Amino acid sequence: MPQYMLALYDDPSGWKKLSPEQMQKAVEKYMAWGKKPYVIQGKRLATDLGRVLRTTNGKARATDGPYSETKEVMGGIYLIEARDYDEAVERTLDHPHLEHGTIELRQLFS
Amino acid sequence: MSTPRGADASVDNVAGRDTGVLLEHLFRHQVGRVVGHLARVLGAARLDLAEESMQEAMLRALQAWPYQGIPENPGAWLFRVAHNAAIDSLRRGRFLEQNSSVVLAELTRSTSIVSGDPVVEEQLRDDELRMIFMCCHPEIPREARVALSLKTVGGFSVREIAGAFLADDAAVAQRLVRAKRQLRDRRITLDLPGAADLDQRLDSALETIYFIFNEGYAAHEGEDLIRRDLCFEALRLGRLLAASSIATPSVHALVAVIALQAARLPARIDEAGDLILLEDQNRESWDPRLIALGFHHFDLSIAGDQVSEYHVQAAIAAVYTRAADLRSIDWRAILELYDQLLAISAASPVVALNRAVAVAKVHGAAEALAEIDALGGNPQLRDYYLLLAVRGHLLEELGRREEATACWRAALECRCSEPERRFLRRKLARI
Repeated sequence: MPQYMLALYDDPSGWKKLSPEQMQKAVEKYMAWGKKPYVIQGKRLATDLGRVLRTTNGKARATDGPYSETKEVMGGIYLIEARDYDEAVERTLDHPHLEHGTIELRQLFS
Repeated sequence: MSTPRGADASVDNVAGRDTGVLLEHLFRHQVGRVVGHLARVLGAARLDLAEESMQEAMLRALQAWPYQGIPENPGAWLFRVAHNAAIDSLRRGRFLEQNSSVVLAELTRSTSIVSGDPVVEEQLRDDELRMIFMCCHPEIPREARVALSLKTVGGFSVREIAGAFLADDAAVAQRLVRAKRQLRDRRITLDLPGAADLDQRLDSALETIYFIFNEGYAAHEGEDLIRRDLCFEALRLGRLLAASSIATPSVHALVAVIALQAARLPARIDEAGDLILLEDQNRESWDPRLIALGFHHFDLSIAGDQVSEYHVQAAIAAVYTRAADLRSIDWRAILELYDQLLAISAASPVVALNRAVAVAKVHGAAEALAEIDALGGNPQLRDYYLLLAVRGHLLEELGRREEATACWRAALECRCSEPERRFLRRKLARI
């Protein structure tokens, strides 16, 4: 079955506005979603902004992130199985992350 | 949460078990313990650092747990990560002041203590108790005490507190800032009360807890869920005091009132969200565990010869609870208890109104109506929907239907909750 990657983007400062109760509820919702049978795995990215590598004037070098102007950063990824994009979208629509940020959905080449 | 599970868990099993799910309100309840412990080590003057460190730990949990799973002991995890966050902040020098190295050493030592160990548990309960007494210090005004306790010990957010008290966020935030300033200015510390000021400080703590409960219990407006949480937070705080070595019979009496009244919470609203009067409530839906808890503390409250307002309130709640059905409620006993209550509490008009209801049951509607009309002049009650609702009820009983209708119409104009409003409309439709 084809695999899809969910890239979760959010504005990290948004989380600070949650109450302890809301934070716990969020943890529980994410965990419940992660246990669905078609979820292959999930990984959280470290909270630093990483490095960007590119070649300038023939020389490859790394610079510190961020690499985009938006406040949203990628915070985690999931891999899921789905027949096609329609099913992948349907399986992602109830992800609790959508209460906090956006999800980019991409099919893995196979 | 219709059972006291959350309340039980917070007192008896805070560390949590590895069941793969989190204890209800775990984060919220860990706030009081962790912030209490950190603030004792860091000093009351660094309360903000203690709070920020716990906030940081919860944010880390939010990032890690959904992907890595819940750690074996989630409470201990939060405790340790909050400690490390505090150590990092101290090292970064943001809060670098005198005695930092001593504090750092103590923090580093306590990072490795194991939550769940009985000695450690007792220390943590003690830390939380100190925090309650600090937040409820008599030198802080009551509104600020309430907000500070809910935020710092109860783990409620500013927005949640505002939602429960129909205040706006900025006003609650201001109240907290002022309360913290008072802590600093008056050099209020995390010391437990001594023999000299125990009574006064305990009274102040009980008053704060009872106020939190009543705000949650009284069905005015506001967000229902939060209001119910306030009731259970008051129960949790009361039980923390009751489990401590400085518990007095009054503390047990307060826990008894709260538990016996909270037992009726699930019966107060029907499936459609409509209000059900005590006399129409299905006793089957009263919470038996809370009733048992209430009577347990009621028995403990009888030790000694002290009779506080809470003792009498608990006795009233006990009479209602003991009656097998509506007909067997001992209204004479209730009336006597209200007389006693009016004699010891500074004649609260709401107590007088409740007493009038008992008068109606014992001496009839006409006598009760006379009492209510005497209360009507009280400015605190003039626009109180319950006074008008009760008055309308008595008038109806006396066959004065037009006056009753006018009374209920006036009650609808007052501040009251949606279920109360619907209740009054039903009354009006039926007459």
